[in-house]
Amino acid sequence: MLNSAVLNELRAALGPDGPSLPSGLITATNQLQTYECDGLTNMRALPSAVVLPRTAEQVQAIVRICDQHRIPFVARGAGTGLSGGALPAQGGIVISFARMNRILEIDIPNQRVVVEPGVVNAHVTDAVAAHGYFYAPDPSSQTVCTIGGNVAENAGGAHCLKYGFTTTHVLAMDVVLPNGELVTFGSSAPDAPGYDLTGVFVGSEGTLGVATKITLRIVKRPETVQVLLAAFDSTTAAAQSVSDIIAAGMLPAALEMMDRLSARASEAAVHPNYPVCEALLLVELDGPEAEVKAQMAEATDLCRKNGAWEVRLAQTAQERGLIWKGRKAAFAAMGRISPNYIVQDGVIPRTALPEVLTAMSRMAAEVQLRIANVFHAGDGNLHPMVLYDQAIPGQEEIALDLSYRILYLCVDHGGSITGEHGVGKEKQQAMGYMFSEPDLDTMQLVRRAFDPHNLANPDKLFPRTRLCGEKPGPYTPHPLETAGVAEFF
Amino acid sequence: MALIQHRFDALRTHLATLETGEHNGRITVSPKNTEEVAALTRYASEQKLTIEILGAGTKREMGHAADADILLYMTKLAGVVAHSWQDLTATVSAGTPWVTMQRALAQHHQYVALDPLWPETATVGGIIATNDSGALRLKYGSLRDLIIGMTIVLADGTIAKSGGKVVKNVAGYDLHKLMTGAFGTLGVITEVNFRLHPLPAETRIWTATSSAAEPLGDLMMMVLDSQLSTQAMQLRAHINGYALDVQLATLPEVLTLQGERLNDLAQHASSKTNGTFEVSQTSDPKVFTAREDLFTEAGVVIKATMLPSSIALLSSEAVQLGGTAVTQATGIMFARFNEDTAAAAISALQASIRATGDGSLTVLRSAHTAGSPWGDIAADPLTREIKRQFDPHHILNPGRFLGGI
Ligand SMILES: Cc1cc2nc3c(=O)[nH]c(=O)nc-3n(C[C@H](O)[C@H](O)[C@H](O)COP(=O)(O)OP(=O)(O)OC[C@H]3O[C@@H](n4cnc5c(N)ncnc54)[C@H](O)[C@@H]3O)c2cc1C
Repeated sequence: MLNSAVLNELRAALGPDGPSLPSGLITATNQLQTYECDGLTNMRALPSAVVLPRTAEQVQAIVRICDQHRIPFVARGAGTGLSGGALPAQGGIVISFARMNRILEIDIPNQRVVVEPGVVNAHVTDAVAAHGYFYAPDPSSQTVCTIGGNVAENAGGAHCLKYGFTTTHVLAMDVVLPNGELVTFGSSAPDAPGYDLTGVFVGSEGTLGVATKITLRIVKRPETVQVLLAAFDSTTAAAQSVSDIIAAGMLPAALEMMDRLSARASEAAVHPNYPVCEALLLVELDGPEAEVKAQMAEATDLCRKNGAWEVRLAQTAQERGLIWKGRKAAFAAMGRISPNYIVQDGVIPRTALPEVLTAMSRMAAEVQLRIANVFHAGDGNLHPMVLYDQAIPGQEEIALDLSYRILYLCVDHGGSITGEHGVGKEKQQAMGYMFSEPDLDTMQLVRRAFDPHNLANPDKLFPRTRLCGEKPGPYTPHPLETAGVAEFF
Repeated sequence: MALIQHRFDALRTHLATLETGEHNGRITVSPKNTEEVAALTRYASEQKLTIEILGAGTKREMGHAADADILLYMTKLAGVVAHSWQDLTATVSAGTPWVTMQRALAQHHQYVALDPLWPETATVGGIIATNDSGALRLKYGSLRDLIIGMTIVLADGTIAKSGGKVVKNVAGYDLHKLMTGAFGTLGVITEVNFRLHPLPAETRIWTATSSAAEPLGDLMMMVLDSQLSTQAMQLRAHINGYALDVQLATLPEVLTLQGERLNDLAQHASSKTNGTFEVSQTSDPKVFTAREDLFTEAGVVIKATMLPSSIALLSSEAVQLGGTAVTQATGIMFARFNEDTAAAAISALQASIRATGDGSLTVLRSAHTAGSPWGDIAADPLTREIKRQFDPHHILNPGRFLGGI
């Protein structure tokens, strides 16, 4: 717990409350519990305080206090992260951006929007839609997750295949460094001289500081959008169609795949009227009307050539919406076919898809569990969902073990342990499988330059024993642990 | 001289397998692989010898001159290591000339979608270290968007990899982004993984000319706001007049339709401003090397960045200041000034950039180094600390970067 002197400092940093200004400091245990986990609910830790600043200056004052007293802190957007990124350090402080949710500036001619980090992803598009623009990165959680969280995770979405991930759309930002200094990275104009600190910060999972203002790039809406749904007898045939479409020189706006189990669950949940099949492929093309028409004809042929027995082109915006609704509901729908599940986020080169899927089914069969698969097939990003029942003793451990072995399988095929959900707390150890000691040591140089006292979201991203200041080798307690400020669990 | 000779002998004894030589009193080393680069930097680090990293040397004038003990030639680390054409990715050694790489990738109708300066000679590593990009950036983004992984050698000989061989990957810090544009001050890039794009089915270029910048600037903003398949666009500014080049890329039958649409926009732009201009299709694909042509004549060459909406204004200002400029629609201007007027022109342009909002100015080539190539840009404490962590003894490209880093 924080002592009352520190709490008073935090209170002062947040400025006075008022009837219309509810307190920005939370310390009551029952209220703190709201913040003890993110979307990865099996890992929890109670923070000692939650602060809800309204301005960058307040954030700065809070971080200064943390720096001074060596209190670990973690930024929090909407808490939808799936890797424990916003999980507090035991006894640390949570900086919630719920009250910094204003869109500060919209510059349509230059295609830029300036936002506070608490702005919800979908609200950016809402703000510019009337001008014919949209904000391209579209995580399935976009109606709730925040730009701050997206920046920290380098969030992706179905349309990132064509439009790029969050990193492509962040031009500049204001950041409060772990020592409390407020700095600007990048600029609205291209190529700000200096190291590309914007590029490094995006995807750093809250471990390098706290973003307080972000300049985003928006994109002109395409003239036409068409969505095709194709049903196959095998995931291999669907995967081959993906490769063929890409090889034909097309860059679809989205290329998504669902297997029988996940399609069934979505069907039960939101009734998108999916055909019953082993693999569903969803192909979205956008661009000039004549181009989309020509390419859609080609994509249809390629699907049929690979054995698609039903190929359905959505005829209306409503039909298109329904197809997507089924896809976006895939995670949530799992509850309908399994009491519990673990979502993973591996990436493989597109061409390894058939081989990896076969290996995955074999591994699941060996431990008598089922895996449902949805994936961003275009960029080889798999979301296998390992289904299990917590009520059966030992099954959760088996499921967890299987989910990690799937990630190793992805690495063995030249891929990655995470395509968009981040490493966070969940995949710390898997980092050691993907990267060598020198790779991780070099990343730590960055960490040390930004955060020498290891206060910003500590004990995440790197394998447990590789904390800043620690020597590789057998486990030794981190200074924070010995000081009694933080505890590992 | 004796000192050099002594160092040279010591280095040769110690790194007997490395190809070494001498050039203007400096030791030259030409490693053939990542491990040899690591052996060299480790040795240099121990001996506190400084290293200048050189690709083809095309951009050696950019940034401060690095005065180092050792010249590290990267050109022996050359070749496309792997081309997974079905995955649209490739791994390339850093000393590979840009065109050599593109020719290899073109066998499968693919390329790294970037049009850097001097592609015939410039190496992959040098282009990355200076974060070069051309007009294609409008559609495909900069190197930040095209590099998916990298192998680097640190000053102490550590070999580190970041990213990977898949396009989508958020594991760990993106060290490759830190290396891009760092002018070799944080590490030696030895191998790069790129994401590739298919070569476009067909491209066509239209050029609109006018005696004033403003109507072309309006047209440029209209094209940016349109749904045309624009892949590149630039505004050329010269004492004799202005030209806007628009390159569209899509299927041949669609191009014809879009050409008509572009004409409509041009009509609209010219009627709105009553600054009439002509639009015609160009068959000369060379128009987009215009920024390279700026370097063929003597004079000071600068790079200025700005918001797209300021391009027309700053282009005409560059001309009024006696310059010639080529500005990509992303907001990156390259301009040349005569040596005698350059200093005044630079400070005037700097002031205007500041007045228009956002942007920066750096000097790419200046015969008599009047002032810093980095203009008035200093290095902040974080930048210095990053350098200190990566290269504590300042042995890599010492002094080359801003703030004397
Ligand atoms: C149903 C569902 C579907 C999802 N689908 C996708 C998807 O398609 N693609 C995808 O990429 N992700 C997806 N996610 C994961 C999640 O939504 C994203 O990671 C999102 O970016 C998290 O945003 P958030 O606001 O909830 O951040 P949080 O979970 O609150 O935080 C995430 C991380 O960001 C850090 N952070 C937050 N704000 C800041 C700040 N201002 N400065 C610095 N660091 C900060 C936190 O410390 C933490 O490490 C999904 C999640 C769910 C629950």
